[in-house]
Amino acid sequence: MTTPAALPPLPFNPGRVRSYVLRLPLFTRLVLLVILVFWLLELQTVWSVVTWGALIPNEINIGTSMFLLGTPFAFEPTVASRNGSGLTLVIVYRLNTYPLIHTGFFHAALNVLALTPLLERFEAEHGTLTSIALFVGPLSTFPGGLYTVIERFLLKSNTQVIGSSVWVFLLLGSEAIRTFKSSPYFSLGPYKIPTWTSPLFACAVLSILVSSASFLGHICAILIGYLFGLGYLKVFVPPEKVLRWIEGKLNLLGRLPHYVSVDQKTFGRYGVLPSVNAAATIRSLRNNPQFLFGRLPNILSFLCIVVGVAWLLLLPLDEYSRQTYISENALLPGQVHAYFTGSEQNIFRGYKKELQGLIQDGREQGPLNPAVVSTPEISNKISSILRDAGLKVATQKYEYKSAGITYQGENVYGIIHAPRGDATEAIVLVAAWKTADDELNLNGVTLALTLARYFKRWSLWSKDIILVFPPDSKTGTQAWIDAYHDLHPASVQPLPLKSGALQGALVIEYPFEHHFRSLHIVYDGVNGQLPNLDLFNTAVAIASGQMGMGANLQEMLQHDNSYQDRLKTMMRSMTKQGLGYATGAHSSFMPYHIDAITLQPKGEGWEDEMALGRTIESLCRSLNNLLEHLHQSFFFYLLMQTNRFVSIGTYLPSAMLIAGNFTIMAIALWMRSGYDSDGKSTLGAGSSETGTSKSDEKAASLKGPEGDQANLNGNTVAERVLALPLTLVSGLHLLGLLPLWTFNTIFHQYFLFATYAFVLVDLLLPLTLAAWLSHGLGVSKPFIPQQYLLVKSFALLILGLCLSTLATLNFSLSFMIGLLSAPLSFVTRVSGSASTRYPVAVLGLVLMNLLSPPAVLLGGSWFTGVSIETILTQAAFGWDVWGMWTQVVVWCVWWPAWLTGCVLLGSSLF
Amino acid sequence: MRVSSYLSLPLALASALWSHATSASPDYSEHLLLQPLPQSSLLASFNFRGNTSQQSYDNQHFQYFPRALGQILQHASTKELHLRFTTGRWDAENWGSRPWNGSKEGGTGVELWAWIEAADDEEAFAKWITLTQSLSGLFCASLNFIDSTRTTRPVVSFEPTGDHKRLENLHLLHGTLPGEVVCTENLTPFLKLLPCKGKAGISTLFDGHKLFDAAWQSMSVDTRPVCPADGDCVVQIEQTVDMVLDIERSKRSRSNPIPRAVPNDQLACDPSKSYNSDDTCYPLEKASGRAWSLQEVFGRTLNGVCPLAASEGESEQPICLRVPDERQVSYSEGVVEHRKADGYTRCYALSPSQPFDLSVQEQDIQQEVPLEEPVLHAERTIVGHGQERGGMRMILANPSKTAHVDFIIFESLPWYLRPYTHTLQAKITDANGTSREIPASELVTGTFYRPAIDRERGTQLELSLSVPAASTVTLTYDFEKAILRYTEYPPDANRGFNVAPAVIRILSAPNAAPIYIRSTSLLLPLPTPDFSMPYNVIILTSTVIALAFGTVFNILVRRVVSVDEARALGARTLKGRILSKVVVLRDRLQKKQTKVE
Repeated sequence: MTTPAALPPLPFNPGRVRSYVLRLPLFTRLVLLVILVFWLLELQTVWSVVTWGALIPNEINIGTSMFLLGTPFAFEPTVASRNGSGLTLVIVYRLNTYPLIHTGFFHAALNVLALTPLLERFEAEHGTLTSIALFVGPLSTFPGGLYTVIERFLLKSNTQVIGSSVWVFLLLGSEAIRTFKSSPYFSLGPYKIPTWTSPLFACAVLSILVSSASFLGHICAILIGYLFGLGYLKVFVPPEKVLRWIEGKLNLLGRLPHYVSVDQKTFGRYGVLPSVNAAATIRSLRNNPQFLFGRLPNILSFLCIVVGVAWLLLLPLDEYSRQTYISENALLPGQVHAYFTGSEQNIFRGYKKELQGLIQDGREQGPLNPAVVSTPEISNKISSILRDAGLKVATQKYEYKSAGITYQGENVYGIIHAPRGDATEAIVLVAAWKTADDELNLNGVTLALTLARYFKRWSLWSKDIILVFPPDSKTGTQAWIDAYHDLHPASVQPLPLKSGALQGALVIEYPFEHHFRSLHIVYDGVNGQLPNLDLFNTAVAIASGQMGMGANLQEMLQHDNSYQDRLKTMMRSMTKQGLGYATGAHSSFMPYHIDAITLQPKGEGWEDEMALGRTIESLCRSLNNLLEHLHQSFFFYLLMQTNRFVSIGTYLPSAMLIAGNFTIMAIALWMRSGYDSDGKSTLGAGSSETGTSKSDEKAASLKGPEGDQANLNGNTVAERVLALPLTLVSGLHLLGLLPLWTFNTIFHQYFLFATYAFVLVDLLLPLTLAAWLSHGLGVSKPFIPQQYLLVKSFALLILGLCLSTLATLNFSLSFMIGLLSAPLSFVTRVSGSASTRYPVAVLGLVLMNLLSPPAVLLGGSWFTGVSIETILTQAAFGWDVWGMWTQVVVWCVWWPAWLTGCVLLGSSLF
Repeated sequence: MRVSSYLSLPLALASALWSHATSASPDYSEHLLLQPLPQSSLLASFNFRGNTSQQSYDNQHFQYFPRALGQILQHASTKELHLRFTTGRWDAENWGSRPWNGSKEGGTGVELWAWIEAADDEEAFAKWITLTQSLSGLFCASLNFIDSTRTTRPVVSFEPTGDHKRLENLHLLHGTLPGEVVCTENLTPFLKLLPCKGKAGISTLFDGHKLFDAAWQSMSVDTRPVCPADGDCVVQIEQTVDMVLDIERSKRSRSNPIPRAVPNDQLACDPSKSYNSDDTCYPLEKASGRAWSLQEVFGRTLNGVCPLAASEGESEQPICLRVPDERQVSYSEGVVEHRKADGYTRCYALSPSQPFDLSVQEQDIQQEVPLEEPVLHAERTIVGHGQERGGMRMILANPSKTAHVDFIIFESLPWYLRPYTHTLQAKITDANGTSREIPASELVTGTFYRPAIDRERGTQLELSLSVPAASTVTLTYDFEKAILRYTEYPPDANRGFNVAPAVIRILSAPNAAPIYIRSTSLLLPLPTPDFSMPYNVIILTSTVIALAFGTVFNILVRRVVSVDEARALGARTLKGRILSKVVVLRDRLQKKQTKVE
């Protein structure tokens, strides 16, 4: 028997468990079966097994049953007659049935788990017949009777008991006595605790953990167990001679399977050894590396991907998602009356006319452009309104350059000092002049101004309120929040005026003139960071509960609570999270651990700007209540409706499985590369030879297992040649920096050209590399098959590592990249005869090129109808200003892995 | 320069009184100054001063000095005491320089410093602890939390204001509680120290509801020995309450305190706007000239005068009001009004028994009482983010066009904030807005630094600086946040840890009274484990499960050996080891046999 060297032993041997279960002796099996049957019987509703079989002290006729200890009735007539007692009293059957009946699945399962090893050992030690005699007789009636006497006559109560835990404790008690005889004490520091007390401890702990457990019942069982262990109950054990006689007469050993004979008794201290069959299965598997390294990883990887995707699709179901709830009690959403009504609306209109007048002046020069709303006049007007309302006002100029476009503007912001506060905490209200969709947010800005004047009158604020008026949603808040933490670039001015630590931020948008129907809440941050779920829940609770306007998310204005709609909502949020761009002015706050959301009115309905104002007032009051930074609720979640979510614990396995498939494959390839392919292990041997010589055995297909499994049966250990594969893989990953730099640096007008250029590069580069690797081209020695395996192994290892790490940070991005690179687990160097090899490889290359990063980008652009230039400008902007990391993952994780896959495929052409 | 500043200062009266009081024999006087400030605010500055001769003080004959406090001070050998309770922020931009030049004001929360007579530092600290514990009981404040980590010994930031005979034995100790919330429970003991105890005189105006709705408020207790050149020494206690009330908010009745929207017809709109109509209104904010009265603002009228207060000289006019002379003011009958020559101040002599009210009419006037520009603007914030590091940024602006300003910054930082003084950087911005980095040593003329010791004392940093005319200096330094032991987190909601305000002492002229400015306190978020319920549940259940599992597991897998074997196994000898190997081997063989079966 030769065991492959590279295979480590499994830490857990399922074979042992299997053999253990298969070797359970007869009586144990019977007991388990009966317990199971009773549990199943209990499932029906007509006849309550529990009330029938429980040990209810008042139901036991003690006067009679005292004589009948150990005499089961109507259950095991044989044993009854053996004990020689002819009396029958039906009511006492409970003393025998109660250990076999359980109240529910968990009760039964836990007891079975505890009972099986104890009972199995008991039976192995005493034999099946003795076990039957004892357990059907005294070992269940004694504790039951003792319990009944104490319960009924000493305690004068009537608590029913049920369940096989009585046997567990009884056996534990007798075991404890035996342990006591061999080692009488535990030493715990200076104290010596007698070992026989251990069941008592266990009983006490159990009573604490499970309040419904009967302490008295267990104590009775332990007492009887002690008696049994001390040998006082030996009288009830049937004499061996009788047992032998019965056994011999009935030929029990021959007839009954798993029967433990009187002679076969062992002192069952030894663990169960794996049966020969189980060991053989494993051994045969180990001896079949063709399956172990060839087919099994493919199956496992594929299963991982399928299960991962299926898992995600299960999430919208009621069983997997949860109802949202407010975790932070201090928030008290909607518990205050909002007073923003009445003549405040007149002031709103007044401010609006004032601002409108200024915009009109600017707009006469042409259509709306960013310059219109960031004119000095408008800044001054906002400043003066805020100053008149009693706020401290300051401005901040900023300028960003990205992809050859300059973004500049001026933020105006004002601070309402908390009347008695000490400038340690603050809430931010943002009203950008342009919404996230580039609409003019006149009503939003006006509303913020009116609210500022209104809030100033209240004396209850415990935190400062900062109102920020950036010219647009993309750049302004970013410049402001960076400068607030003094982490701004040189092109952004520092803030002359500051307050304390920011506790939360709300963005107000109201870009149209008509009344609205419901509130749309946007919550995605840069790089898929999310605000605390409590903030979102508070907004939903206030909008739908207090204000009665209803809330939406992810542009799902019609959500009928169906599976499709939930899935759609989830997919939309995953897309935004995966792409990692800022979805509104609130997104910039997220990297600083400041929870923020955008409130957008949507639809046509009855609600006016004052209703939105009241919602914001109520939200600010809730945030004002906070004693601590929002931390209670989830930061990682997927929302599928305003009141349903999935938390990270539930959704994470999905992306982890997909990332895990690469790791499984990488490990398998690494192990496989440790085998000599076919004796021709000299480095110089041409790799194509291997392909042709073995061509007939191979099912060379694109997604099929690697071809040369037959060689693996040779089982010679090969030395791994690591240098070149390692260099190649790390070189390719470093090469990823090139497109990363290019796409974030060049001017926006060249983006389209650069994308097409990259499609071409993706087509040619793998072929060039493959040719070079296969032939060496005089620079190096050509690759041997083992090195191809290693290249793929390393590439997949890095991919799996990065994606599983990423899954905890940005689940959606990891999932998306994982799915897009799923074929990489299965593509490999195709070998076989030229007639099959070339078409397969060419087809594979074409398919792979359809899934290359630039091709996916082109596809996405075509599908959404957004031009390449816009997408890439946005991405470059995200990289330069928002600190977006999506490109890094694409170019430094996905693209190198993809390139490696293509090189492997391409190498089959040479 | 001093004279002019006194003329324009709100507290010209108090300073005039200063000379008067110091020469006087044991007496008591009280004063109230009211001054409307821009943006509908009203500064009310109460001052109560009592003297008792040193001799009678030593004999425990306290007269106007409160006995409760006097005994504490004697017990703790405290010669001079300064206690401050402050909340809110002084808005220097709108309200000008601070009352009393900031000398009667503390940082947010509670601040205490005292000169204690003791032979050495240890004795001084022991007495200091006695003092804080006793004061804690007296003022219902958590002063007992001023332990060694919160106590500093400032070197140059404070100087004794009293006349002390032997300075060498006096130890200055200073402690702050920035997180302490000042409220009515501190006001009641404060009032009890007064001879008239809030029953008569200007102290009858103290209503907890109004006082603690103020935008800024400071209560102070100062005791010091005063020895005039001619005469006996006296021990003086001076109590002040300064507050800035929002007139509009204070006028709201207590039964309806909600600032509801005013009815449409009461809106003050700008009629000059073209769109002005019934439903559109550009609000017209009244800058000044609002109507108010004592009754409206304080919720009650003044109840006569305190009969103990001196009734000669300046003190017979205990209430002064600073408004332009053309402002119409009406007052109760039987009161005499005296106008001062400066054209802004009028004082009132009250009749002893009648209640007094004062009301200022709404009036559209252009002239306003000139406010003195503060000498220095200071702002301090924490920058950076994350759990590990941060930075402190201080912006110090000198508004003066001509004179540079010299001052001392006194920082007392908790030990868990570990500053790196080598990272101290300075940036100077001139009037044109151009800024440049300069070495900090160019600005800092002196440094006193006492590094922190973990869990024993905090950092003490005193920097003497000079800011040139019309420029702004930004000082930054980095710090590291310590990780606390889990028992060191307070049991309350984890809001963060308060960092005491910086104290800035401006050195204006050699002999003039110093000017003090205090920055706001800061909130320092430290890395905090999640102390929430699931964490506790996990720990507890794991322990219990481990206990239960251990017991059962032990019974199930224990190897049974006979006693003599066990003895041999237990012995750590060669024989024992060999024997144990034999036992293991035997067991293994027996297993083999069972397998064969």
